[in-house]
Amino acid sequence: MTTARKTLGNGLTEAEAIERAKQGDGEAFETLYGLHKRRVYSLCLRMTGNTAEAEDLTQEAFLQLFRKIATFRGESAFSTWLHRMAVNVVLMHLRKKGLPVVPLDDTLESDDDVPKKEPGAPDLALTGSVDRLQLQRAIGDLPPGYRTIFVLHDVEGYEHNEIAGLVGCSIGNSKSQLHKARVKLRELLKTSRAEKANKPRGA
Amino acid sequence: MKQHSKRAAKLVLVVVIAGAVYGAAQTRKEFRYTVSPKSTVYVANQYGPISAKSAPGNQVVVTVVLRSDKVEVEQSQRGNRVEIRSHLLTGADVDSGQADYEITLPSDANVTLQSSTGPLHVEKLNGDVTLEGATAEVDVRDLSGGHVHIKTLNGPVTLTNVRDGHVEITSVSGDVVLNGVEGPLVQVNSTSGKIHYDGNFGFGGQYSLTSHTGDIEALAPPYASIDVTARSVRGQVENDFPLEPKHSSFVAKAGSAFAGTVGKAASSVKLLSFSGKIHLKKR
Amino acid sequence: MNCAEFQDDLPQWLEGDRKVESEAHLRTCPACHELIADFDFIRRAAGQLQESAEPSPRVWNSIAIALRQEGLIRDGERESATVTVFPRPRGRWLNWLAPIAALGLIAFSLWTYQNGSPESAGQSALPPKVQTASMSLEDRQLLDMISARMPSLRQTYESDLQDVNAYIQDAEQSVHSNPNDEEAQESLMQAYEQRAMLYEMALNRSLP
Ligand SMILES: [Zn+2]
Repeated sequence: MTTARKTLGNGLTEAEAIERAKQGDGEAFETLYGLHKRRVYSLCLRMTGNTAEAEDLTQEAFLQLFRKIATFRGESAFSTWLHRMAVNVVLMHLRKKGLPVVPLDDTLESDDDVPKKEPGAPDLALTGSVDRLQLQRAIGDLPPGYRTIFVLHDVEGYEHNEIAGLVGCSIGNSKSQLHKARVKLRELLKTSRAEKANKPRGA
Repeated sequence: MKQHSKRAAKLVLVVVIAGAVYGAAQTRKEFRYTVSPKSTVYVANQYGPISAKSAPGNQVVVTVVLRSDKVEVEQSQRGNRVEIRSHLLTGADVDSGQADYEITLPSDANVTLQSSTGPLHVEKLNGDVTLEGATAEVDVRDLSGGHVHIKTLNGPVTLTNVRDGHVEITSVSGDVVLNGVEGPLVQVNSTSGKIHYDGNFGFGGQYSLTSHTGDIEALAPPYASIDVTARSVRGQVENDFPLEPKHSSFVAKAGSAFAGTVGKAASSVKLLSFSGKIHLKKR
Repeated sequence: MNCAEFQDDLPQWLEGDRKVESEAHLRTCPACHELIADFDFIRRAAGQLQESAEPSPRVWNSIAIALRQEGLIRDGERESATVTVFPRPRGRWLNWLAPIAALGLIAFSLWTYQNGSPESAGQSALPPKVQTASMSLEDRQLLDMISARMPSLRQTYESDLQDVNAYIQDAEQSVHSNPNDEEAQESLMQAYEQRAMLYEMALNRSLP
């Protein structure tokens, strides 16, 4: 997670950029933004599925962090904190929209949600037959609660205990919802592949 | 010498007069608001106590006692949000700027209370509770279902019987006492405050108690179901539970530490300190 | 073991907790084998989405405008920049901060450069010199602002700020000596959170 001693395009290390940003240096802020913008924006986009919202949230996450920049000493926690802040900004936004951030508890949900595959002839495996765009679309089609857990775990690489802390659910819940999300995603990908085979979508 | 005692006498006189003025200027006000379910109540009061409790009905009732004419109340209701602020006039200080608030509200309301000196007291609510106080003593009891966020500098924090919420407490140097606090997330972050936990570590939750220099003491029942990790870099650690070892490499790291599981390990418990003493006790 | 049982156990299996029965079922069942392969594919493909999208340039433009408005970017003031380094939360706050910051700064400069030692200023509210000497400029400015706005809280803020800085120092040291130590990283995050809270509390507070 740390970006120790990384030298950036303009010859600044991240730590130097942070120090200069504290002094009000606009270029230093831009350097820090440039270093992390793709990661933060991608996160916002995957979690909301909407570019306009993702842009607003990216802006909000960076502003929140930059407002706190004077409290930083050193660089070791910068990116970790930025990403965490981005996640929090998105989760807060989803909560405000009334979307479920925490997936429903297992006890409230029947097991029928996860269709058990009966033995039989397997379909084609997904590998090699699904492209990035299809995957992005399928993630966007996941129900919001599943999408949150899936993006945090499989895209962002957070551990279940971290996810539990971020979204406010139990670790067990995070694990079981991730599994359901993957099952659901697999179905979506298979459907999308079938559709594509029948009538190719135009870009 | 003579002059000195004369000045003392004058001082006493001034104090008495000042007292009388405060007494005369003390005023009591009451505000009532009708709200729909899941209302939001926000109260900011620089100096003085705020107490909030649930009451049946759909009303928010705020009673304020203003200690002098140096402090006024600004209040508004916008939609389902009630906002009340103490407004300090020039020359107001910690005494003359004091206002005492008592609030009753529906139990599903979300509450945010802010006071530098406090104390802050909240009881019997199901909504989200956010409390912020610099030196304020914070006392919270009988909450369920809502998220509880508390921030203090050196104000001590006590939570009693708080369940099924997401509890986050950040205090720099105030001691934190949790009795019967359980939920999916319970997190205490302190720099020098002591942390005391007495409860079941239930709900399959994530419990994290951290203090840089403060001691951490956690009491759990023999039937607890936890996956525990404890470490103090320079302090002592002590544990009364028989632990099943974990496969993680944690224990091998610097400092004194223990890690392992008790029962089915439904909840995760993390106790971290730098120089404080850590003790996991059997109740 | 049949497919349903295998799939029930799948979350644990994927976490690396692998039962012998599951392994056995997997060897004989192409359907479940494919399921695992798909999950594996999904996970690998998902990981590649981490930096997959580029925000439009207008995002940075809006950020830069906000940073300028809030005084966080002060182009062309680099020489004198060391004097007003405050983090600036948004909102009403700004209306009163600027004068206060200036006041605090003036007071601070006077105190440092004219009196030399705080005791000679004859003000009991001023902190002992030894303690503030180790503080950064931001910290001293914050404390000056607190002295001006909420003198009764100055002591609390000062001692808490020192404790928190010590926390950060210890935590940073731990991370440097054990870079892969998860708990050390967590402690460092918590230490930063403490410092951020202190600043936020001092700066966001609703004041007259
Ligand atoms: Zn099978």
